[in-house]
Amino acid sequence: MALPVSYNVRNVFVRWRSTLATILGIALVVAVFVLVQSLAIGLRKTSANTGDPRNLMIVRKGSTAESVSQVTREQLRYLQYMEEIARDAQGQPLVSADTLVLVNLPRVEDKGAANVLLRGISPRGKELRPQVSLVDGRWFERGKREVVVSRRLGGRFQNFHIGGQFTTAGATFTVVGWMEGGKSAFDSEVWMDADEARKIFGRENYSSVLVRPVDEPAAMRLKVKLENSRQIAARVWRETEYYADQTKMALPIQVVGNFLAVAMSIGAVFAAMNTMYASVGARTREVGTLRVLGFRRRSILVSFLLEGAFLAFLGGCLGCAFAMPMNGYAASVIGFETFSEMMFEFRITPELVAQGLIFSVIVGLIGSLLPAVRASRLPVISALKSV
Amino acid sequence: MTIGSFILKNALRNKRRALLSVLSVAVSLFLLVTLLVALREMTVPAEDVRAAQRIAVRHRVSLANLLPARQLSVIQRIPGVAGVTPFTYYGGKYKNEEIPSFAQFAMDPLQMTNIFGEAKVASEQLAAWYKDRRSCIVGKLTMERYKFKLGDTLPMTSMLWPCDLEFKIVGVYEGTPDDRNVMFHHKYLDEASGNTGMVGTWWVRANSLEEVPLVVERINKAFANTSAEVLAETERAFVMSFVSMWGNIKVFIGTICSVVVFTLVLVSASTMSMAIRERFRELAVLKALGFQRRELFAFILAESFGLAMTGAIIGVGGAWALYTHANINQLTNGFFIVAEVTPRIMGMAFIVAAGLGIISSLLPSLAVARTTVVEGLRTLD
Repeated sequence: MALPVSYNVRNVFVRWRSTLATILGIALVVAVFVLVQSLAIGLRKTSANTGDPRNLMIVRKGSTAESVSQVTREQLRYLQYMEEIARDAQGQPLVSADTLVLVNLPRVEDKGAANVLLRGISPRGKELRPQVSLVDGRWFERGKREVVVSRRLGGRFQNFHIGGQFTTAGATFTVVGWMEGGKSAFDSEVWMDADEARKIFGRENYSSVLVRPVDEPAAMRLKVKLENSRQIAARVWRETEYYADQTKMALPIQVVGNFLAVAMSIGAVFAAMNTMYASVGARTREVGTLRVLGFRRRSILVSFLLEGAFLAFLGGCLGCAFAMPMNGYAASVIGFETFSEMMFEFRITPELVAQGLIFSVIVGLIGSLLPAVRASRLPVISALKSV
Repeated sequence: MTIGSFILKNALRNKRRALLSVLSVAVSLFLLVTLLVALREMTVPAEDVRAAQRIAVRHRVSLANLLPARQLSVIQRIPGVAGVTPFTYYGGKYKNEEIPSFAQFAMDPLQMTNIFGEAKVASEQLAAWYKDRRSCIVGKLTMERYKFKLGDTLPMTSMLWPCDLEFKIVGVYEGTPDDRNVMFHHKYLDEASGNTGMVGTWWVRANSLEEVPLVVERINKAFANTSAEVLAETERAFVMSFVSMWGNIKVFIGTICSVVVFTLVLVSASTMSMAIRERFRELAVLKALGFQRRELFAFILAESFGLAMTGAIIGVGGAWALYTHANINQLTNGFFIVAEVTPRIMGMAFIVAAGLGIISSLLPSLAVARTTVVEGLRTLD
C-alpha cells in the first residue's frame, strides 16, 4: 500500500525552515539553466527566422558567409536574365545584388565601438525581403548617402536616431528611417543602396545575389545550373537554409550552459541530500510507526523519493518564475560568421520550461535517493525507541 | 578535552553531513573560480612586454576593409618607426574542416624577429623560411594538435581570398600569447591572388615606448583624407576593441557569477545552521554550565568557518590543479588557450568562503544567544 501523497506535501511545508533554502537553491540552479539555454535558443531562432523560403542566395564557392563572398558584375549580368528567375509586372527580374560592408561605429554612452553590418541592396531588395518593414521615417533615396537602420540598433549606436549623421570612409551618412526585421538577422543591419555602397567603400564586386525563381522546379534547376557553371563558381543556398546555418555562436553558449547546469546541480544534489537526511533523521520515530502500521519498506522508499522530487519541483517552478522576466529581453553578442554585432532576444519556450522542471525533478530524485533508502531500512524497534 | 578537539569532534560527529557540506562548498567554489577565470580570459587579453611597443594599423571603416599596399613606403618613412610588416588574415580552412580552426597570416618574414620578437624560432628554421616563398612557420600548439612534422604540407582553402594555397612547414614558433597561428610570405598570397595590391593590416614597431603615441598620431595623419584612411592604435587598444565586441555576454557571465555565489551562501548556510539547530539542547546545557555567549559563538563560528575553508581548499585547489595542468586549448576546442588561476581569483574565492563561514554561523548564534537556558533545554527539535 502506498502512502498518501498529501503526507509528503504537508511534510515539505511543515519543515519550511530547512526546506526553503534547498528550494531556493534548486530554483537558482534551474533559473541559470533556463536563462543560458534561452540565450542559445534566442540566437538560433533569430537566424532560423530570417529569409523567405522562395528565395535563393548566391555566394562565391568556398565562402562560409555572405560578408566574405564576392560576385562580380559580369557574373551578375550573366545570371540575372536567366529564364528561371521570376519577373515583376514591368518585366524586371526579381534580383538583388547586395554589397556587405563591416563598419566600425561607436556605441552609445562611450561603451567602445562595435562592427555593424551595412547591407547595400538593389531596388528589388526590399521586395525580396517582405519580413522587413519600415516603422519610422522613410526609405533611403539612391545617391543621397541615406541609410535606414534597424530599430533595435537605433538605441545602441551613436547618431542612429532619425536625422542623425555619422561619417565613415570619408562619407557622411544620414539616417532617414528605422526598419523592423520581424526578429530576424535583418534586425542587426543597416541598409542603403548597393551601388552607392560599392562606390563609397571602393568595392569592385558585389557580395551576394538574392533571386526569386519562378517556382520550385525552377529553383532546383537554377541551383544545379549555377553550381556547375564555369562562369560562376557559385554556391547556391535557399535563403532560409543559409541563415539557419549561421548559428555557430549558439553552440559554445549551449555547451557552457550545460556545463554550468551540471556543475551547479551537483552542488544542489548535495544540498537536497542534506535536507532529506535531516528530514529522515527527524522523523525516525514516525517512520517506525508507519512500519508498525503495516506500510512496506518499498512504500516508505517511494514516499521519501516523492517528497524529494516534490521539493525540487517546487524549486524548479520557482526557478522558471525567476527566469521568466528575461523572456524577450534584447541583448547583443558578436556573431562569429559576420564578425558584427548580432541582436537577439532571450526566448523561454514551453519546451525549455519543461526541460527545466524535469531537470529539477531529477536533481530532487538523486538527492533523496540515499536518504530514502536509509529511511526504508530503519529497523522498526530502534526507530520506535529513538527520541 | 581541549576546546580545539571539542570543536573538531562536533564538526565531525555527523560525518555524512560534514562531508556533504564540504563537498557542496567545494563544487560551488570550483564553479566560481571557473567562471572568474573565463571572465578574465575574455576581458583581460594576455599580453607581453613587447606588445606595448607595437602598433596595429587597420582601415578606418573596419577591420574587414583592406588597405592599399602602397602605404608601406609612407609608413616606413615616418620618424620613430623601427619596422613595419603587412599582416593579412588569410582565413583558410585546413583540408576538409568546415570553419578555420587556426588563423594564417601573410606577412614579411624578414620583419618577424624585429616586430614579433617574443616568438622563438630556431635560427636555421628562420633561414629556411626566408628562403622558400611557399613555406610557413606554425605555432607550437597547432603543431601538437594536428601532429604536424617539419616538411609537411598544409593545403588550405580560403573563405576570403579567391585562391587556395599550400604551405610547407619549415619552422615552429612559441612564446607568444597565442601559439596557434601560421605565418607565411605575403608575396605568396600576392602572387596567388593575382597581385591585388591589398593588405589586411600593418603592424608597426615604434623605436621606443615614449614614441608610441607620437607614431600613432603620425600614421593616422599621414593617411587622413586619402581614399584609405587608417586607424592606428596600440596593440592593447586593438585587442581591447575585440573584447568590447563581446557585448552583453560579459555582463551575463558576471551575473551568473553572483547568482552562483548567492546560491552557495544560501545552501551552505542553511546546511550549517541545520547542524546547529539540532544541537540546541546541548548548547543550552553548555550555557547552563557557565559558558559565555561569545564562547558559544566562537564554537559555532569555528566549526562553520572550518567546514567552509575545507571546502574552499578542495574546490579552489582542485580548480587550480586542473587549469594549471590540463590542456585547456584542447579541452575547450581552442576557445581558450590558457586558463590561468591568478592569485587574485584565488583570493576572491577564499574571501567568499570566509564570508560564507561567518554568515552561516551568524543566524544560529543569534538564536542561541537569544534563548534562555530553560527554553533551550525544552527544545525537542
